[in-house]
Order: sequence, then structure tokens, then C-alpha cells
Amino acid sequence: MTVQARLSRWLRRSGTLIGFLIVIVYFTLNIPNTFLTLPNWLNISQQVSMLAVTAFTMTIVMVMGDFDLSVGSMASLSGIVAALFFRDSQPVLVGVIVALAAGLVGGLLNGLLVSYIGITPFVATLGTLTIFSGAAFLLSGGKTIFGRDIPADFSGFARGGIPIGTFNERALLFPNLTIVALIVFVIVWVVLEQTAFGRRLYAIGGNVEAARLGGVRVRFLRLIAFMLTGLGAALAGLLYASRVASANPTQGAGLMLDAIAAVFLGMTMSEEGEPHVVGTLLGVTILGVLDNGLTQMRVDSYVREVLIGAIIIGAVTSSSLSRRGH
Amino acid sequence: MRRAVFFLTFLSAVVLALMGSVVVAQDAPVVAVVTPYLAQPGTQSLVEGFQAAAAEKGWAVNVIDTAGDVAAVISRIEDVVNQGVDAIVINVDPVQVAAGLQVAAAAGIPVFGMDAGADPLLVTNVTSNGYAMAAETATYVVDRIGGAGGVVMFVFDPYPPVQKRGIIADAIFANNPDIQIIDRITPDVTDGGIADSRAKMEAVLAANPEPGSIKAVWAAWDQPALGALQAIEAAGRQNEGIVIVGIDANPQALDAIAAGGNFEASVAQDFAGIGAATADAVARYLAGETINQRVIYIPTTLVTAANVADFLGSK
Repeated sequence: MTVQARLSRWLRRSGTLIGFLIVIVYFTLNIPNTFLTLPNWLNISQQVSMLAVTAFTMTIVMVMGDFDLSVGSMASLSGIVAALFFRDSQPVLVGVIVALAAGLVGGLLNGLLVSYIGITPFVATLGTLTIFSGAAFLLSGGKTIFGRDIPADFSGFARGGIPIGTFNERALLFPNLTIVALIVFVIVWVVLEQTAFGRRLYAIGGNVEAARLGGVRVRFLRLIAFMLTGLGAALAGLLYASRVASANPTQGAGLMLDAIAAVFLGMTMSEEGEPHVVGTLLGVTILGVLDNGLTQMRVDSYVREVLIGAIIIGAVTSSSLSRRGH
Repeated sequence: MRRAVFFLTFLSAVVLALMGSVVVAQDAPVVAVVTPYLAQPGTQSLVEGFQAAAAEKGWAVNVIDTAGDVAAVISRIEDVVNQGVDAIVINVDPVQVAAGLQVAAAAGIPVFGMDAGADPLLVTNVTSNGYAMAAETATYVVDRIGGAGGVVMFVFDPYPPVQKRGIIADAIFANNPDIQIIDRITPDVTDGGIADSRAKMEAVLAANPEPGSIKAVWAAWDQPALGALQAIEAAGRQNEGIVIVGIDANPQALDAIAAGGNFEASVAQDFAGIGAATADAVARYLAGETINQRVIYIPTTLVTAANVADFLGSK
């Protein structure tokens, strides 16, 4: 391999990472006092935690070349389900467990439609997106559930954390939301990278026929994968409801596109263009850092949206162009 | 290789574009305005009123819209707290963003509500007086029907800002012994409120077929008033002199008032005035004044055929 070819290969895999580092250097130079500080990064980690949980578990189905459009409305639905139990004066744990169960059931429905009935993931999850969203509106009567109906134990979770010292005389917490996201990250990493289940999902993503002929139970594994994605979406919805101390039938809607974008950003870092949860973590971090840095630089919020979209397209374009060129 | 550096080139372009778009004012107070609702006309007027007043004071204002995402409001409050802005203005239910307000309080950064709702974590909230608005339209109805006759009310008690309006109208109608409340209706608002109010009003019209049996419709906001107007026109009873009033003076209501039909009055909130008064409250606080008023009310205006042209022109 020539030096140039080697450099090119390295750039191809690392283009997104290098771009990200440039963004960090740029923000550090322009926001010198606050950007590269521990409180700010803990802050970012907390802000992206809901997106992170959604994107990590979205990675599981995207490994097989599938995706799940219903995660956002599942997140809204799970928040509403939990809040209804809270309003009924049920213990927090009961509301949380039922909401997570709703995620599993929703994922089961997606999995059945995709793997047993054979509807394409786009159509199947577009349908369930509408069903979950409609259910969230039906159950809540279209209203936001907030105030006294949401127990302080539940909303306090998102505001709490583990004390890790002080910064400029302010107590510094390692946020609970960040801890949950990290736990989900480790679980998804182990499942995808260290188990036979994960290797089979990658095999399905590589060549579904070959996987089937090789004895992989494709249908069953896809079903399980969709259930895990549904469970993750429900968990993200609970984190969201805890953070805003309320539940609204549309509040998770923004998670779906950002989660898919984060996985795509992560895919640009892998040699084969496969999703890996480590890449997804980088994708989520890029989105969070851009939001945080551009806000602090007082860039207009609409300019910010255009920029983030352009960066996603730029990263994926550069990665696919360079892959095709070799 | 050439293609592989595409992304880097692209990023440099982004960075250059950013440099052009950011003007950092030195020393002037920096105030962040955070809202999920900038796409709504009322919120736009609020923000424009605030910006105009802030420009006169020479402040650097950072307007942040999270496009409906309430959790993102908390995130953006955390960001601007970290950045160390001088003050934060929110236009969102403070209860839902309490996590962000606590972060601001811990950092000693004052937060002001701009038509947001009262909250102990806010220095003050600048808004319109819901009680006063309801009193304006309820007394208009009493005066127009000579204090006697049947009145249909459209209320919405589950939502506190609208519940306030209903309770004042109840009191004013109860103070006129010759007024009978035919029905006190809570419409289903999931479709925006017009369609269901129309259906409910059609039922009331069917149950009260005698001309003159319904003297007025009092609605706690404009959508049910518009629905009632549609029902009355569809039933061909627009010439019985039924008086309809709403609150909020939304563009559709203004058109209906200007058309000169049964929809006679609504109340316009002075959103630009609320924005400007919020800026004044921030200025007073930054100058060291203690603000005792937890809520600052900005006067509203009764809109009728007499002055509707002023409001149509400004929309």
C-alpha cells in the first residue's frame, strides 16, 4: 500500500472524527471561558441522554439494515402511560415498569409486522408511529399531564446526580440521566459486539440470505431486535418526562430523526459502513456539542438547524464518496 | 484522497460562515430569550416587542427557539447559564422547565417570564390579566342585552388561564338576576376547538328554537365563539340579534368582527407591550432594583366594530 493510499484510507475512516475535533477547537477558541469545562460537558452529556438512549437502541435494528420510525411516538406514549399511573397515585416504580412494558409491546408489534408478516420497516414503523401517537393523544385526551400529577420522586431523578466535587464554588453533579445513558451504552455495546446474538445481527445486515442459509433464525432475531429498540424508546420517553416534569403526547417526536442522524454520522466512521454503537455515541455527541456551542455563540436557532442538517449530509457524503472512489 | 478531504473543506466553509454570522458585543448586557413557540404569531409579537426595547437599551439579545421541544428549552437555559448571560427570559410554562430554572437560580442568573405563568423561580412574569379580559367581554354582553335573557357560555376549566376567565363571567352574569345561563359548555379542544363548539352550539340552537330565546354567546376564547357563529349562520338564525363575544382577538375573530355579523367583540392582548415591559423589568432588575410584583399586568383592549380596523392593519 502506498503512503497516499494509506493516508486516504485513514482519512476516510476518520474524516468525521477530524471534523468533530475541528468543531471542538473552534468552539474552544470562540467560547474560551466556558466551552471546554467539566460542567459544560456534564451538561451536554445530560442534554443528549434521551437522544443517546434512543440512538443506541436504534443502532440494534440498523445493524440489520432496518430502522424504526416509531421511536419518537413510542417515547411520547411511554411518558403518557407513566404519567397516567402517577395521576392515579400509583407508585413511581409501577408507572415506570408499565411504560417500559408498553415499549416492549410496541417493539413486539413492529417486529411481528416486519419479520413475520414481511412488511418493509419503513411502512410498518410509519404505521405504528401513527398508532402510538394516536394512542398517546387518546390516553391523555390531548392534554399535557403536569404539576401535582407528576411525583417529585420522578421529576427529581432528572435533576439529581452523584456529587463529584465543586467547580467555581458550585456543586458539581454527575447527572443521573448521563448515568442511565452510559449504562444503556455498555449494554448495547456488549450485546452487539460481544455476543453471538450481535454477530448474527451483523450477519443479517451483511447478507440476509447467507445468514438464513447459515442457520441464523432471522425472523426471531429481528423480532427481538425491534423489541429492544422499542424498550429503549420507552426508556428515553421516561427520561424526557422526568426532565420536563410533565408528559405531553408529542414531546418525543423530535427524537426519531436525530437518532437516525446520529447512527448515520456514526456509520461514516466504520470501514464497512456498518453501524456500531461507539460510532453512534460519537454521532450523538456531535449533535449535542453543536447545539451547545452554537447556542453559546448566539447563532440564530434556525441557522443552527440548517447547519446541523448540512453537517450530517456533508459527513455522510464525504464518507460515501470516498468509499465509492476506492 | 481528493474526495476524502471534501468533508474538511466543507467544514472550513461552515466555520467561515459562522464567523460572519456572529457579532460579539463587548460589555453590553447579554440577555437570552428562550421559547419553544416562536412559530406562533403571539410569541413573535412578544419577542419583537422585547427586541425593540432591548435594542434601545443597547443589549445583546440571543433569541432561541426550540421548535416545540420543551426539554430543549431546559438544555438551552443550561447552555446560556454556563455561558454566563446577564438575564434569561422564557416564554413557556415555568413548571415544565423547572430543572433549567433551578440551574439558573444556583448560578445566580435572574429569569423573567414573558407571558409564561407565575413561579417562585421567576423574578416576575409579565402578562395580560385574564380576570380583566373576561370582565371586559362579560360586561359588554350584559350591556348589549340590557341585562336580561338567555346566555350560552363556552368555558374550559381544566386549563387554569382560561378557567380564570370563566369564573369572572359567572360572577358578572350572576349579578344580573334577569340573565339565565342556558348552558355552560366545555368544548372538546383536540381539533382546535371550532368544530366541536359548532356541534355543541347546533344542539343548543335545536333545543331553543324560539327566536330571542338565546340573547348572547360568551366564549372564554375565540375558537368556540367562531364555532358558535358558524352554527348560528348555518341554522339561518343570524338575524335574531344573538351577540357573540370571544377573547384573544385572533385574526379569524378580527375578520368576523370586521364583517359586522353576530361576532361583535373580543379582547386583544398587547403582546408587543408585554415584550417591551419584560425588557423594562429586566432593566430595573439589572439596575439593582428589587421587583416586588410577582406578576406585572399589561392592559388589554376591547375590540369591536368601532376599532377593529386598527387591529386588522397591525396584523
